[in-house]
Amino acid sequence: MLSYRNVSKHYADGTNALTDVTLELNPGEFCVFLGHSGAGKSTLLRMANGLVTPSSGSVNVDGETLSSSNLKQVCQKISMIHQEYNLSGRSTVATNVMSGALADVNFLMAQLGWFPRQIREKCCELLELVGLEEKHLHRRARSLSGGQQQRVGIARSLILDPKIILADEPISSLDPSSSIEIMTLLQSLAVNTGRLVLCSLHQVEMAKNFADRVVGIESGRVVFDVKPEDLDDNVLSLIYENYNPSRADNLDENTQVENLITSKVV
Amino acid sequence: MNRNTHDDRTRNASEWDNPPPFGFRAVLVFIIIFALMTFSAKNIELDKAVSLSVEAGSYLFGTADHSQVIYGGKKIAQSMFPPVLSETTEVSRIENFDPNKTPLFSKIKSIEQLTTSIDPETLEIRQSKTAVQVLYNPIGYLTHVVKKMLETIEMAVWATILATIISMPLAYFSAANYTENKIAYTSARAIVSFLRAVPELISAMFLVLMFGFGPVAGVLALAFHAAGFLGKFYAEDIENTEKGPQDALKAVGVSKLKRLRYAVLPNVLPQYIAYNMYILDRNIRMATVVGIVGAGGIGQELKGRYDMFDYGHVMTILLLIFLTVYALDQVSSKLRSKLI
Repeated sequence: MLSYRNVSKHYADGTNALTDVTLELNPGEFCVFLGHSGAGKSTLLRMANGLVTPSSGSVNVDGETLSSSNLKQVCQKISMIHQEYNLSGRSTVATNVMSGALADVNFLMAQLGWFPRQIREKCCELLELVGLEEKHLHRRARSLSGGQQQRVGIARSLILDPKIILADEPISSLDPSSSIEIMTLLQSLAVNTGRLVLCSLHQVEMAKNFADRVVGIESGRVVFDVKPEDLDDNVLSLIYENYNPSRADNLDENTQVENLITSKVV
Repeated sequence: MNRNTHDDRTRNASEWDNPPPFGFRAVLVFIIIFALMTFSAKNIELDKAVSLSVEAGSYLFGTADHSQVIYGGKKIAQSMFPPVLSETTEVSRIENFDPNKTPLFSKIKSIEQLTTSIDPETLEIRQSKTAVQVLYNPIGYLTHVVKKMLETIEMAVWATILATIISMPLAYFSAANYTENKIAYTSARAIVSFLRAVPELISAMFLVLMFGFGPVAGVLALAFHAAGFLGKFYAEDIENTEKGPQDALKAVGVSKLKRLRYAVLPNVLPQYIAYNMYILDRNIRMATVVGIVGAGGIGQELKGRYDMFDYGHVMTILLLIFLTVYALDQVSSKLRSKLI
């Protein structure tokens, strides 16, 4: 469904964001990219929908090699969930969700804010699917909590019925309980609807519990590609130099941060 | 950026750069600017303004015998107050006058008028008192000025609407993140700067020559100048608004104009409303100025009365302009608080 063939990305300032990455990803998979900040996870994700163009190599989506000529058509098969939700804060929840379908809406109708009935109906169905209620429909997006805003982002990503969902650190700005809810939702999208869900994360425990494939990225290279049950300390040490499983296991994120601060001060 | 972070981490905290907010160079620049401004102040007679103001203060506290400023102020106040609200017109000068159909509150009065005539035989100048019938309307002049003010508001509203329409495409092409074509970008920026650089009064003078006396020239003059401002403000907001929502729509293949409508416009709307209300407010004030060169509105009335030394009438006009601008300010703040 999605394949990266020997892709590399070099920026003008000399940074090598990705080096010779080859990956084959299949429908129904919930694949997590693990790695620290700047490792190249987001670059790899954003290459799938053309937001980043590879310096060399190619990206193949559903049998088509991504190029500037077919980018618009291919983009409609792929949707994206963002770390900071990227909603238009002053617009309503409904408008934000329906804006995901703008590529399919006539220009004049779009300018008038007049969405076709099937899009309006689908917007309601999707909001229900992600666990929001009718009362949220006409609220301004910025008035919702972080978790609710991310649900709106997910509903928006689903409105064009994409085959691939890219989630760029979708739980980085959320509390642990909202994070679990969002990960459960993403997992169900892969398992129940057969979509390919690609997600970049920092949270090892989340990857272990929800993903069915984990790809480790370090300095722009894929350093492991394993099932979550094979994600042992040795494998993780390939991406996290000082990974200490005894501290990370069974602790929530906040406790980990507290421990980290305490150890630094001592 | 990563390299910098790495360097900072390897240096001891005592070696880190944390300079004060300004240094010797900034102080030097400030002293040079201060010296230049002092020289410039003398050129525009600010020293005269200060000495006359001090003299006026001394006069008010009884330590000076004379003050040019206070004397001038008194003369203005005496000639401008009370503001004129009424209007008296000789009945004989009113076309098709019907005594049964007089305006509201008005009444017909008979007044004695001093008339001067020359005897054709003796060439002697004679003065005689004759009774003249006049129509006295206690709010006649106020009604006339209110009508002129309404015309001025209409001019300002139309000028603001036209300015918004003209500035929208200019803003799109002046926003670097939406216009990649360098020629289009540079041309739009140049047009916006040109429109802003030509004052309303100057363009009104030319437009009066092209369109004749009346409000059209005024509306166009105000619209062109305001379009220069709005085009610049709109473009800057488009460039500086949050990138996230735009990226989200770009990622699913949404075109630029649709992104502008859904990811930019909702977020910049409160600022746009504020700009437009300011431009409307400014257009009302400036509509009075462009009237001076014959471009319609209350300005034409103001100029006419000022030239005839009717300062009481001028005061009525100024008060009405103030009340209109104040009312608009109230409406504008209510509208903003509702929309934000």
